[in-house]
Amino acid sequence: MATHVRRRWVLAAVLLIIGAGRAEAQVSELAVERRLAEELGLRVGDTLRIGPAVDSLTKLGVVTAIYEPRPDPAEVAKRERHVRMHLPDLAALLGAPDRVDRYAVALRPGVTPDAAAAALNLTAFGYRAYSSRVIASESSQTFLVVSRFHRAIAVITIVASAVFLLCIMLLKVEERRLDAAVMRFVGVRRRTIFGALLLEAAVIAALGSVAGSGLAYVAGAATNAYYRRFFDTGLTFSLITPEIVLFSVGLSLVLGVAAGAAAAWRLVHTRPLVLWGRG
Amino acid sequence: MSGLAWAVQGLIRRRLRTLLAVCGIAISAAMLLDMVMLSGGIEKSFAELLLAKGYQIRITPKGTLPFDTEATLAGASGIVGRLRRDTAIESAGAVLGASLYGRIGDSLVTLVGYGIQPEAQGVYQMQRGRDLTPQDTLGVLLSPAVAGLLGAGLGDTVSLVGRLDPQVAAAGVSRRLVVRGIVRWVYDYRGQPSIGTILPVMQALASGGRDDSASLLLVKVRNDAEVAAVSDRLRGEFPGLEVYSVADLVRFFKQRLVYFRQLSYILATMSLIVTVLLITTLLTITVNERLGEIATLRAIGIARSTIVRQVLIEGTVLTIVGAALGIVLGLGTARYLDSILTSFPGLPAAFSFFVPRRDSLITAGLVLMVTGSLSGLYPAWLAARAPIAATLRSEAT
Repeated sequence: MATHVRRRWVLAAVLLIIGAGRAEAQVSELAVERRLAEELGLRVGDTLRIGPAVDSLTKLGVVTAIYEPRPDPAEVAKRERHVRMHLPDLAALLGAPDRVDRYAVALRPGVTPDAAAAALNLTAFGYRAYSSRVIASESSQTFLVVSRFHRAIAVITIVASAVFLLCIMLLKVEERRLDAAVMRFVGVRRRTIFGALLLEAAVIAALGSVAGSGLAYVAGAATNAYYRRFFDTGLTFSLITPEIVLFSVGLSLVLGVAAGAAAAWRLVHTRPLVLWGRG
Repeated sequence: MSGLAWAVQGLIRRRLRTLLAVCGIAISAAMLLDMVMLSGGIEKSFAELLLAKGYQIRITPKGTLPFDTEATLAGASGIVGRLRRDTAIESAGAVLGASLYGRIGDSLVTLVGYGIQPEAQGVYQMQRGRDLTPQDTLGVLLSPAVAGLLGAGLGDTVSLVGRLDPQVAAAGVSRRLVVRGIVRWVYDYRGQPSIGTILPVMQALASGGRDDSASLLLVKVRNDAEVAAVSDRLRGEFPGLEVYSVADLVRFFKQRLVYFRQLSYILATMSLIVTVLLITTLLTITVNERLGEIATLRAIGIARSTIVRQVLIEGTVLTIVGAALGIVLGLGTARYLDSILTSFPGLPAAFSFFVPRRDSLITAGLVLMVTGSLSGLYPAWLAARAPIAATLRSEAT
């Protein structure tokens, strides 16, 4: 019972209601978001008492539609629920007839949105005009911050990976000390040994990159599956594009080969007897 | 030679690889430290922010979080009066948030207005000048941003208007107020142009004074231990309102920022894995290279346990040195990462994502130390089971 009452209050708060179109009957038509309908157990045809506040649930509304909202990253963590009503119904419910939060304006061909917004703002009193581009830019600020954070984490990860790779390559090449010593004893040129070690480093880096890409795809799929379920949304949380794969593989190869080259250069410039452990 | 000296000598002998390993561990430790700070910091910083003025309970319109929507609760003065008569409550005050405008010559600038009850307010701290009195209908408090925007100082008069009507191009309400003080609004984002008046003045600017409304009520309970009980009681007394203790709000906030907490767990785990891989790989190869040395030690009577201990000490030394560097590196990167995340639009300027907490830092340090030390187990096992005779024969050829 308590849950039912609480849910009714949440619905009654009508804070998330978005007006659209016009009403014809006294009983308001309601289009309820799918998640809200599931949470409240609502079906098309159900009647609800609605109002602007908990203590004034004076109007009736009938659920005429249950809709799936377009996935919106700005809403995903808020867990807000929406109901759509005809604009006059909502205005009457709120006791604010002929008032709206915003207008959408479609321009004639040839008129630029920025110029139109500037012209409107010259005479604006009590409102402000924005082009869609500016609104998109403003509303995406949060995601730009997240994106910057991800990039910073990526840089730290790349530095850590580079050090790790260099260390592993150094150890891998160091393992070949005796082989390198023997090759030097039998007259194999430094350049040949260096080339062989470099090739080995490149092969290891390539194999590691391929394995890493596979791992990234699996991790990305797991991330999407988890967060889609967690937030009950169709948003894509992890997107691995060919450009990202190319960048990652390219970077791994360059780092791997560079690390291998550094380690190999150090090895081939060490005296063979030292490599053999008798120097 | 002691186990520690043996381990240190072994590490010094291979300077380059030791240096690289220490660098790798340091970066991993820095990442671990940052992520531990991130996972606990959000919670701590938010709780501190909410308790900045000691108010432990917020009351808002049903179904809303404080200042999350433009919803207001009606009959604010009456509710505050009831709250103040409660013996468990030390003080209670209402806050109304509204959008209004400041006049500069012929133009208007958009401002955020707070209507407050000066005798019980928890949303600002005085910086200069004096506070409003409960009956001060002519005074206004400005944030430094608004003072700069309006070019107003203490004692100056500013013109504020509200309820603009685009159809008749006129303001419904206009007030000329004297600047009493410059304040820091606790929950404002950086540079937010906020002003404050006593509640009735702001109600007049926002709605023409028709509604005795407020965005939220702040409640300070006398005894911290009774906050949960008082919250429950208030929920019963005001079923049409939402009653949140700081703990409730922290829980909601954590839910909204769940992504960052989970990301911090994932990255911290990855950091530990990298540390384990690095130390295990390094020690395994080192042990393989030193099998002859180990076999000789075993041949002259050194116990297996001593060899195992020495390898483990080597791993521990690497971890300690790497972790020490990692702390310095981690604190630096935390400041940088914090500067990125605190630029979230609308986030209170006083909020911080990366907050060092002693308990979580100690936990992270212990986990790193234990993990780093245990990373030497496999190479230590390899060292302990090396066949003495075969290894010595192989080394001799």
